[in-house]
Amino acid sequence: MKYHLILSALTVGGLASLAGPAIAQEPFKIGISAGLTGYAATVDRAWRDGVELAAATINAKGGIKGRKVQIIVEDNRSEPQEAVTVYRKMLSSDGVGMFISGCVSAGNFAAAPILVRAEVPMVLCSILPQQPAQVKWAYTTLPPAGFEVETRLAYLKDKTQVRKIGVLHDPTPYANLQKTVAEKEAAKYGIEIVGIEQYKQDDADLSVQISKMNSAGAGAILKIGLGGTTLTAAKNIKQLGLNMLLLTSLEDLAVFRPVAEVLGDKFFFVASPSQVRDALPAGPLATEIDRFLAPWREKYGDRDPNWASRGWDGLMLTAAAIEKGGSFEGPKVRDAIEGLSGYQGTTGVYDFSPEVHQGLTINPFVLGTIVDGKVKVVQ
Amino acid sequence: MANPEPILKATGLSARYGHVEALKSVDMHVEEAELVAVLGPNGAGKSTLLRAIMGLVETGGTVHFRGKALPRHDTVAVASQGIILVPEGRGIFGPMSVAENLQLGAYRLQGGKGEYERRQARVFELFPRLKERLSQVAGSMSGGEQQMLAIGRALMADPKILLLDEPSLGLAPRVMTEILEKLRVLNEQGLPIVLVEQKAPLALKLARRAYLLSLGRIVAAIDPREVQSHDELARYYFA
Amino acid sequence: MTSLLATTLPSRFRWTDTLAWLPWIISAGIVGYAFLSGGYVVTLVVFALIYAVFVIGLNIFMGFTNQVSFGQNAFAAISGYTSAVLTTAYEWTTLPAIAVGVALAVLCAFLIGYPTLRLKGHYLAMGTLAIGLITYEISVEWSSVTQGYMGISGIPPLGIGAYEVTSDRGQLALLVVIVLILTFMSARIRTSRLGRAFFAVAGSEDAARALGVDVARYKLASFILSAACAALAGSLFVHVVGFVSPEVFGLHMVILSFTMLYVGGIGTVAGPLLGALIVSLLPDTFRAFKDYQDLAYGAVLILLLIYAPRGLAALFDRYVPAKKVGGAP
Repeated sequence: MKYHLILSALTVGGLASLAGPAIAQEPFKIGISAGLTGYAATVDRAWRDGVELAAATINAKGGIKGRKVQIIVEDNRSEPQEAVTVYRKMLSSDGVGMFISGCVSAGNFAAAPILVRAEVPMVLCSILPQQPAQVKWAYTTLPPAGFEVETRLAYLKDKTQVRKIGVLHDPTPYANLQKTVAEKEAAKYGIEIVGIEQYKQDDADLSVQISKMNSAGAGAILKIGLGGTTLTAAKNIKQLGLNMLLLTSLEDLAVFRPVAEVLGDKFFFVASPSQVRDALPAGPLATEIDRFLAPWREKYGDRDPNWASRGWDGLMLTAAAIEKGGSFEGPKVRDAIEGLSGYQGTTGVYDFSPEVHQGLTINPFVLGTIVDGKVKVVQ
Repeated sequence: MANPEPILKATGLSARYGHVEALKSVDMHVEEAELVAVLGPNGAGKSTLLRAIMGLVETGGTVHFRGKALPRHDTVAVASQGIILVPEGRGIFGPMSVAENLQLGAYRLQGGKGEYERRQARVFELFPRLKERLSQVAGSMSGGEQQMLAIGRALMADPKILLLDEPSLGLAPRVMTEILEKLRVLNEQGLPIVLVEQKAPLALKLARRAYLLSLGRIVAAIDPREVQSHDELARYYFA
Repeated sequence: MTSLLATTLPSRFRWTDTLAWLPWIISAGIVGYAFLSGGYVVTLVVFALIYAVFVIGLNIFMGFTNQVSFGQNAFAAISGYTSAVLTTAYEWTTLPAIAVGVALAVLCAFLIGYPTLRLKGHYLAMGTLAIGLITYEISVEWSSVTQGYMGISGIPPLGIGAYEVTSDRGQLALLVVIVLILTFMSARIRTSRLGRAFFAVAGSEDAARALGVDVARYKLASFILSAACAALAGSLFVHVVGFVSPEVFGLHMVILSFTMLYVGGIGTVAGPLLGALIVSLLPDTFRAFKDYQDLAYGAVLILLLIYAPRGLAALFDRYVPAKKVGGAP
């Protein structure tokens, strides 16, 4: 349709009014602004697939309150400006009534004022916007930054003799938040942070940062941030011949396997429940994960379920809120999500309230390691 | 050479491009209302001599204009004194119109419209073709017309001395003759000219004196009246 | 535009003269269509117009003066962030914040341009590339002021005093006015003494010098004009979107603006606007191609560069007889 719009714009004056007649039960349109290309591509493609899987599952059962769900995905190229454009496109051209958007936080922030004006809520993969007026319309499935840090600190305190650590992080907002939490919380676990070093996502060598922390007496490194730098850090530790533990944040398991080959039992990672399903006891969490994992594995095989499972949660909790609130209207959906508590998702239990728009309030994470190519839970 | 007060006098002028010394301690001068030719084979340093006078290359030595030393690395200041170069390949601004090129020639003109019109009238008198082509894009004109424009543009600066770098380059013999004829007219009006040419016979027809340059040095000062034949000239070249 | 009218208006009508107006007619058609239709096409065109401001400046430096800068995004970032910080942390109103932002960027352009413009060719290009990258790093690292990747949100919209332009069409109209003013200015510059000096520098620095044109000074002037436009675009962007983060002024901006300049027609007056509009809307016309969108867009760009190597605006210029320019300097 846009194709026609622009063509007519170019030929000047051609009219392409394609607005069809209203059908009694039109599908409920849900938009995803995702960085399908650019730096967020891996995460956001998985997020999109999770949302689409949830939509297919919902539609197979007759939709939400008898109304089918239609997912509209637009690529924001991991750029804020593109995000604004695609949000506007989905709002004005597609008539999207709800967003379940990906992890490009700058894009979601840039579009937030538009959603406030349009009174359309969004459930996000990324952190929440900063402005109170914008937070009102935004929810996130992202666990609080502290959880990933606390899981690691708790392990060090309970299971090791390491009491001095270094923090190695990239400059992304989520990594910065985690670093701040680590600084504040470490003392509670009887642990001292002897060095904080920053790196860039495309750094090819981290040995300077690692050596500095080692010489400051750190026995373990908390690495905060995604991507190939984890393997770089592992290799550097080995090359330098250091006896240090490496504890990394949540990530695609595929990234970790080569790291484990380098560092073996000195490597630990934060894992979300869906990544370690087989190690979980039976219960509501396991049941919800299975509901997601069955179609996921059928469609994608061994692909890591971490980001997708949160996308699944995003749509499923929205569906639950709409069922409960009884309306598809933006403000009503917004209110309904705010009233949603005790909702069991694949990542944990979501408890939303007017004050809390970051629903995961109980730490769902475990610490994993890879032994002989198999993922094991250590705490 | 009898006149003790030349208008332009270069002493020990040398120039280099990086490590290559293209001009080696050249002494030359131009007297009032004189047309001096600078001859020599390709790569002799003829263009470099003009560029050195203009301060467009790294130089050593001194250049005096009307008895005062010229700054060595400030082409704008050299041009401001009325020493105007018509560069090799003409250096006209192709995308601009003839009119705009002429306006650029009078770039340093601070005075009003009257002086501009006066200079332009002089150019049109010499090259009536430019008047017809005023609104044409300069790059679309023929080589001869472009050369006329290059000289016309230089005249718009109201030069006190004109330096011409191979004006005959790439021109048909008939056009070449026409251009040289115009230079003769200008010179007769009292404008001193330094004419760099590879085609020596043409230049010698006009010049009062000539320098022969080879490998960056002046190897001979020639009196054109003494050069009777091609053979004689060739001797200078290969001496 | 009136000056263009004056300079291109012939004594008698020729059909080729309407061709010269085609870039303007197409641009007006696209903007007019967006204005009437509303919707997200407005957003696309609003961004295109902001980029047009940026590219008009780039064109002065690269098109008129024939220099290369990969770092104009630095000036957009300086002004954009200044605007953002002054209006949020210090609660300034929009207009003075933009003014200070642009002034600061111009000052930086002077300090950077004064030494670097003496560099030639690829040294200058590399130098400007470094400036862009350094500014990006600063916007990431100086988080106490810029909030790093978190970005600054809640930036007030464009407006004068208490009157704020918040509607899409209002923003569109305001940007149209700004772009028209700047286009008019660039047309005037092109035919002025200043513009002739730029073109002389572009043609041959030595020839220009030999005519008494102070090449370094005009390069600097061109650089500063260009930086001022980039800075204005940066501030306009943050006030229109209400948010700024380092990615906004990243290398992406350099690539996009270069594409616009070359597609539109480098050195022409209509080129920046036309290029900004076409390049902003073109990918969207291929949105239906989904995963092949970039491929289709890339293919069209290649075709454009093959069949219109001097840009779209120059394509129409070809049929036009030379401009008539007055005799006086």
